[in-house]
Amino acid sequence: MLERQNTVKLTSIAQGAAVVAVAAIALTACSSNNNSSGGATSAATTTAPSVDYSSLSGTITAGGSSAQGNAEAAWITAFQAQAKGVTINYDKSQGSGGGVTNFLNGSYDFAGSDSPLKAEQTTQAATTCAPGGAIDLPIYLDGVALIYNVSGASKLNLSAATIAKIFNLQITDWSDPAITADNGGTALPAGPITTVARSDGSGTTQNFTNFLTGMAASDWPYPAANSWPVEGNVSKQQGGSAVASTVDSTAGAIGYVDHSATNGLKSAKVASVNGIAFTPEAAGASLTDGAVPAPNGVQGDLSLKFDYAKLQASKSAYPIPLVSYAILCTQFKNATQGKLTTAYLGFVASDAGQQVAAKNAGSAPLPAATLSDIQKSLALVK
Amino acid sequence: MTDSTAVDTSAPGVSPDRNANGGAPRNSGGTTGAGKAPSKVGDIAFKGISTLAAWLIMAILAGVAIFLILKALPAITANWSQNSELNEGPTAGWANFWAYSGPLIFGTLWSSLLALLMGAPVAIGIALFISHYAPRRVAGVLGYLVDLLAAVPSIVFGLWGIFVLRDFLKPLNDFLNSTLGWFPLFAGTQQGDGSNVISGTGSTILAGAMVLAVMILPIITSISREIFLQTPALHEEAALALGATRWEMIRLAVLPYARSGIVSATLLGLGRALGETMAIAMIVSPGLLYSFKLLTDGENPQTIAANIAVNFPIAGDLQRDALIGTGLMLFVISFAVNFIARWIVARTAPDARRRTRSRKVKTA
Amino acid sequence: MTAATDARAGRTSMPNALKSGHLPRWTELWILLGSAVLVGLIFIPLNYNLAGGLIVMALLYLVAIGVISRVVENRRQAIDRIVRALVTIAFILAMIPLVSTLWTVIANGIGQMNWSFVSQTGGSVFNPETLEVTQEPGALQAIVGTLIITGIAAVISIPIGILTAVWLTEYSRPGHAVRRIITFLVDVMTGIPSIVAGLFAFSLFALIVGPKAFSGFSAAIALCVLMIPTVVRSSEEMIRLVPNELREASYALGVTKYHTIIKVVLRTAFAGLVTGVVLAVARVIGETAPIFIAASFTDNFNANPFEGPMQTLPVLAYTGYKFPTTNPEASLQSAWGAALLLVLLVIVFNLIARIVARYFAPKTRR
Repeated sequence: MLERQNTVKLTSIAQGAAVVAVAAIALTACSSNNNSSGGATSAATTTAPSVDYSSLSGTITAGGSSAQGNAEAAWITAFQAQAKGVTINYDKSQGSGGGVTNFLNGSYDFAGSDSPLKAEQTTQAATTCAPGGAIDLPIYLDGVALIYNVSGASKLNLSAATIAKIFNLQITDWSDPAITADNGGTALPAGPITTVARSDGSGTTQNFTNFLTGMAASDWPYPAANSWPVEGNVSKQQGGSAVASTVDSTAGAIGYVDHSATNGLKSAKVASVNGIAFTPEAAGASLTDGAVPAPNGVQGDLSLKFDYAKLQASKSAYPIPLVSYAILCTQFKNATQGKLTTAYLGFVASDAGQQVAAKNAGSAPLPAATLSDIQKSLALVK
Repeated sequence: MTDSTAVDTSAPGVSPDRNANGGAPRNSGGTTGAGKAPSKVGDIAFKGISTLAAWLIMAILAGVAIFLILKALPAITANWSQNSELNEGPTAGWANFWAYSGPLIFGTLWSSLLALLMGAPVAIGIALFISHYAPRRVAGVLGYLVDLLAAVPSIVFGLWGIFVLRDFLKPLNDFLNSTLGWFPLFAGTQQGDGSNVISGTGSTILAGAMVLAVMILPIITSISREIFLQTPALHEEAALALGATRWEMIRLAVLPYARSGIVSATLLGLGRALGETMAIAMIVSPGLLYSFKLLTDGENPQTIAANIAVNFPIAGDLQRDALIGTGLMLFVISFAVNFIARWIVARTAPDARRRTRSRKVKTA
Repeated sequence: MTAATDARAGRTSMPNALKSGHLPRWTELWILLGSAVLVGLIFIPLNYNLAGGLIVMALLYLVAIGVISRVVENRRQAIDRIVRALVTIAFILAMIPLVSTLWTVIANGIGQMNWSFVSQTGGSVFNPETLEVTQEPGALQAIVGTLIITGIAAVISIPIGILTAVWLTEYSRPGHAVRRIITFLVDVMTGIPSIVAGLFAFSLFALIVGPKAFSGFSAAIALCVLMIPTVVRSSEEMIRLVPNELREASYALGVTKYHTIIKVVLRTAFAGLVTGVVLAVARVIGETAPIFIAASFTDNFNANPFEGPMQTLPVLAYTGYKFPTTNPEASLQSAWGAALLLVLLVIVFNLIARIVARYFAPKTRR
């Protein structure tokens, strides 16, 4: 017999209270007992569809992007705490590409991916999801952070052009005048720069190179891609946490990681880009100011593209945002799976869900308008 | 010989003669009944099981090979310069499949060669030490310790390599580059501004090869030790009786006997080094290029297995097929290496020696 | 006699060992101490690297012992002493990284070792008021998964592998087609990357079961594909080493072939077979990639190998390192804990295997 031993230590009374409490939070504009996130918009008009969680039972199999991995883990715990009969398995080792591949051949109920489906993948999904199609829903908002390790430099600001030159190995020393100029005239101690990038293909690299080609095209002669294009003295590490720990342990290093991976850094610090530091508000502003819909043709699809000219023009938007999607079919082969998946994603795209992710995974909550769009799309799924 | 009918089989412990036509005897060991039928059944059954096992293995391994060839074919035959999927991400910029796997094959061979050069002599030395030089009681403990180390999983070596070895090697890297930097192996990367830098983070192929060497060491040592212990004591004692020193005794009696076994052990270790995924992927900063430099961050050739591990998650369907194709190249390498080794063993086996020359033995 | 040997000694380059000197008993130790002191005198004041100092000391010792022995004794003795030193150096050289690895695992993982880690499934708790999700480290699901998956793989591969080795050495003729094919395939498969084996197993199961084919059994098949070549290769080597005289003696006594194989050949090679099996199991118990591909990823407890994803200890360690939660310290700690558990598991398995080998093997081994 399949025994689940998730140790959820709530008594049965508290369980009922939990459901009521979560529903209450979702329905009211409660923000008092939440901490620094505060980025939740005040008008919490997004309601989770009124699904009776305790009546659900089954298993959801999903996987894909590791950027939303921590958020998924938090969502799964919170959801399973209310819907006791549901087991959810999210495989964050597959990566966006593996998640999409497994989704397209029918192994996953939904896939997590850092970019929406490409045109040919949407066509392929029409076969997998027949008679419906696949939709991409943005459920996770974060940013790409630049971390650096220079002793004696506790604050650093870099412009897009300087970042491009550093990562393209044009600038090789920390005392370079371009860096000093960006940093408000404060020169950093001289020393060689070691750039650290990802050796594995990843959505983080894709988003970072999108930014570089969007805002610093003259200094970044490569096309945006999910694998690092620069050759030469670049230290490539496998996985975001490896980049973070390598920058942390190498003096003079600079690298890029998901912002949610910047906890626990001992000597490395996060730099601000174009004068803007990463905050949940800045990330939310990126979405509202700089995101442009790029629908794939299936009704309910909410794919987005970032217009970097708009991002540059906005004075409050963080320049390097990262959005991660949930990709699912509009028509499930098994109606129960459809119900389960929409219930789960409905929780994810609710105010409560976004707060859970913000609190536990370090992401930025999605704006209310996006959340209500997602709920409308989920209502179309059968 | 007396014929079988005269044998008194009623007395216990009487060893039976073969019967007239040389078939299975009566009373063999007391476990089977009298007569030929049961032991023949046993023979047939056992031979049947063994043959079945052999055919099953052949089917499984052949199945794996055929599956992989079929899966890789679309990528090998595709037109790389025109295919949109193959033109982006990890496989971008390569003219065809062979251009893509060339640097990978080089990287695999180079890192395994380094690992073998560093690891195999040391491993055989340890095996000799345990079997012939260490005091008896210590030898038992040491043998056990080495077996234990063969069992440490590669994830642990990967973590050790990252947290301990990379930092430990940084001073060595600096020393080698500053004193021997003129030698191509120890040169640094040329930068745009004319400077020459070595690795700042320690993610060099030297570190990766060293971890590989440490990983294959226990395998080679375990098997070599078993083989050295199997040397007939008579041969060893004869050499010593003739006045040979310990090293000469080893050279005369142990090593020739163990030659095929040492080659097998080395091949098993090499097999592990060729297929090692996690440790290299975690430790080495990879590139797809042909380079002999040991001390850089940006000029380390990537191995086939680590490349698959690193790129598999992000790969699309056709790219996955390309990665599997590179895995097939690994098969070809394994086969070539094993073939060469078996040829060496066949040429220099003890019975080969008996047919050819007689050895001159130097004694006092 | 002495005149004749003197004359011979004058002609050949091999002096009479009975006539040459002999170094006193503790010479090697004294020379070692001497080189240590010498190197220390030079290196410590100049504050050089310790590792460099040890290397120089070893070289100094080799040269010293070689020269002194050559002068006092003779060339053969000198070579013998040098080889003895080289072999000991090789031993120490190899022990350092291996002991360092073990020490790193133990030192980092011991903090995580407590009864709750071993007996509890990893889980997380949701606090509905603060919306906080706290992780509770636990490795039970990984321990059970490791035992089940590796157990199934071992139970399948070991008998098949050993029987195949028996067939190859005892029953088949050297030119036999099947034998050549198997030898070829085994040679080729020793280098298979584990991720490829995982892909094969997953595809096979997807054909049989359907798209959602993640299961522990599928991962076990992947591990079989990895184990079989090692088991066959090493068993074949060990069986071949059994002296022919033993087989011939057994046949001469009238023992049937299969009885000879079981009671004489396999029994004699038993310790070697066990070593080969232990090596094969040790290699696959630490695999992560095939498990990811074939058995997916989960934190939940699953004891059914035929249904649903399963987690193993190496996967737990790898995930803790590569995909940390927002508390990277705790994740890394959990990773080291899982790694230590894995090493302990393998130690226990190794011990059991050694005891079994000593019990069954003939008592003539040194």
